[in-house]
Amino acid sequence: METNSVREASFIGSSGKDMAQPALTATQKNAVAVPKPAEATASRGGSRMLKRIFSPGVLLPVLAGVLFLGLWEFEFFHKIFDLKKYQLPLPTAIATTMRDNFSMLLSYTGYTLTEAVLGMLVGSAIGFLIALAATAWPRWGSGSLTLVAALNAVPIVALAPIMNLWFGDGIGSRIAIVTATTMAAMAINAYKGMAAIDPLALDLMHSYAAGKPAVFRYLRIQSSLPYVFTALKINATASMIGAIVGEFFFSSKGLGYLLSNSIKVAKMPLGWSCIVLAAIAGVLFYLVVERLEKVFIKWHPSQRK
Amino acid sequence: MKGGSIFVRGRLLPLFVWIFGLLLIWEGTSWMLLHVVETPLAQSKLPYVHEVLSTLWKYSGTLLKEGAATFGNAGVGFLIGAVAGASLAVLMSLSKTIEQLTFPYAIASQMIPILGLAPIIYGIVRDEQTSRIIISGYITFFPVALNMLRGLRSVDPSALELMHSYAAKPWAVYWKLRFPAALPGLFGGLKIAAPLAVTGAILVELMGAQHGIGVIMLRNLYYGSSHTYMFWSTVIVGALLGIVSYWLISLIERLVAPWQPEFRPKGGSR
Amino acid sequence: MSLLATNIPEIQLENVEMRYRAEAAEVLALHQVSLDIAKGEFVSLLGPSGCGKTTLLRLMADLIAPTGGNIVVAGKSAKEARLAQKYGIVFQSPVLYDWRKVKHNITLPLELMGVKKSIREERALELLDLVGLQSFADKYPWQLSGGMQQRVAIARALSMEPEILLMDEPFSALDEFTRERLNEELLSVWSKVQNTIVFVTHSIPESIFLSDRVFVLSPHPGRLSAVVEIPLPRPRTAEMRNSPEFFELIASIRDSFEGV
Repeated sequence: METNSVREASFIGSSGKDMAQPALTATQKNAVAVPKPAEATASRGGSRMLKRIFSPGVLLPVLAGVLFLGLWEFEFFHKIFDLKKYQLPLPTAIATTMRDNFSMLLSYTGYTLTEAVLGMLVGSAIGFLIALAATAWPRWGSGSLTLVAALNAVPIVALAPIMNLWFGDGIGSRIAIVTATTMAAMAINAYKGMAAIDPLALDLMHSYAAGKPAVFRYLRIQSSLPYVFTALKINATASMIGAIVGEFFFSSKGLGYLLSNSIKVAKMPLGWSCIVLAAIAGVLFYLVVERLEKVFIKWHPSQRK
Repeated sequence: MKGGSIFVRGRLLPLFVWIFGLLLIWEGTSWMLLHVVETPLAQSKLPYVHEVLSTLWKYSGTLLKEGAATFGNAGVGFLIGAVAGASLAVLMSLSKTIEQLTFPYAIASQMIPILGLAPIIYGIVRDEQTSRIIISGYITFFPVALNMLRGLRSVDPSALELMHSYAAKPWAVYWKLRFPAALPGLFGGLKIAAPLAVTGAILVELMGAQHGIGVIMLRNLYYGSSHTYMFWSTVIVGALLGIVSYWLISLIERLVAPWQPEFRPKGGSR
Repeated sequence: MSLLATNIPEIQLENVEMRYRAEAAEVLALHQVSLDIAKGEFVSLLGPSGCGKTTLLRLMADLIAPTGGNIVVAGKSAKEARLAQKYGIVFQSPVLYDWRKVKHNITLPLELMGVKKSIREERALELLDLVGLQSFADKYPWQLSGGMQQRVAIARALSMEPEILLMDEPFSALDEFTRERLNEELLSVWSKVQNTIVFVTHSIPESIFLSDRVFVLSPHPGRLSAVVEIPLPRPRTAEMRNSPEFFELIASIRDSFEGV
């Protein structure tokens, strides 16, 4: 399967090259008027599955990963960097710790994930509203956009104590941190999406004597969805980081807390377990967003075969 | 004075109004919390703007010195990471095998809370300078690699065919076509990574370093409400470091790749 | 199609002028253009690039405002005509919404006007029938070819049953064969709908095949250099494209271009 690999690297600064095609480009296919046959999803034979598993795109990284773990286990990295086992635990030690503390790790993961998801939702919602305001009232609204971008530059590590002061020790402060860190990505991206419209489409709306609210409702918001999902994907990963950093400093529960605690009491395998679980949770969160993307913008070029 | 009209007509006035308005609301709320609602720790939660600013000014020497320490380390790490990332991108563009090998890990690495890795790195290396550099480098590495790769890939196939028709040597194609075409992507990655590198550096400091803005931040936080203005000053410095790093990259971008559409004067509508 | 269905022109331009300020210089896009278009007529605005034909159409559509002169559309000012939805417009690219099915793309203007759903659905079927795309109602735009997408755009433009249809080089992006076929289909649609059509094109044969009259525009500055009557009988047929009269008309129009 051809990997249109770089497409999946969704970052703010990508200047929307991903979504460079405005959603309204007509596909100028002057073939005889036969619509594309609905193929693709049809054949799902077992042999096809097998081919996908053993394709180089999957096999190579998996092999590389196994190799990496192998080297690690056999203390290759320890020798190179002159590390002791207590500094860098072996994969087997980490796995054992994970198994032994499974229920605690699981519940903490859930806790952290909740913070991440809730914060992400609130932050994205606010970011979207800011983009809306900036598009609807360009002169005055864009000031809010600049402020949000500046907020993005504040290091997370400074936000943590501030949110703790404002919202106390509970789950609220971590959600606030995640909200603050996810607002900007959404605001910037959604704004770009609302503006990236074929000028002819705007002319068309003008010819329908459609007012600003109608233009938003029928055109701008739909157009912005691909960009919104890019931002949601970025935010999915950023939110986990935000939640963990927040817990790192001020919390009594969650993966971040456990991580910081493990380091304090020099229980490194447990710390590494936290990281592994955090990574897995992050990936799952990301995949969920991707799935939603398939549902909500199935019409977009990036989602078609 | 005619010059005022540009200020008023352009986007600057609304921005200034926003900033001024925000500061006003901040100051007002601060006063309210202190005198009207009498919230405990009112000045810690929302300090007077003028107090923070005066503290910032008074201790600007220290703040600048520590800020420079952080910035310096972050910068070194950033450079190393950027070079490594760009190199990886070039390799990935040259060989499909390398790309297939490394790409999934590139994505996965974004999922690992890098900022969660920081304490572990510090725990292993135990030297604050090196840790800062490693973390900054790591944070920079992947966004730069991925964005640069997209840039390298964004070359118009027709342009490549043209090069082919000139019987251009591969390295010439790279140097004259692919590389300049990749610059916008590269700078996109750099702009994202720069503030992150600063954040990473600060995070390392919070784990027990001697120098750096994060150290001052933590110290003042733990001294409590009497030092709140200093704490907020460090927050501002931290934010400024992030903003400055972003602007620096943008400036360099303008010098190195000025042909991009975003830098062209906005033409009148046709 | 009769030229004089009524005496009052459907569209009237009087000394219309359009100036742009671009960079350092001033560009005169249209200079003193006056013309009348009768109700039920099919006219073309024909000319090379830079002659202002698209500008002229956009002025009629109130997408831009003239710097001089007077425009009357369906007895109102251009702006009032737009607000009253007196015309439908088709651009060079279909500008369909990728996220809506074909039938919902067609009824977009009706939705904007608050027309009831049941009526909209009826109308969608009628219009699909009119442009011959009945079986594509539930498809998405990208599943159709370029020519079919333009037909959807035309159906959409007709959804409000406007008195006037403005078309800005709608078939320029298509190949010659598709274009000729769509020309014939357009005429067939027009014969059923019987409204006024203003058609912008740079193709001389196309303008002759479709129109009752051709307004020939020349550039630098954009101005009306000739009005050519097309006495070919209706309904127009494909064979007419090869007739001697057709070629004569091509020649006479070509001659009437000034300064090209």
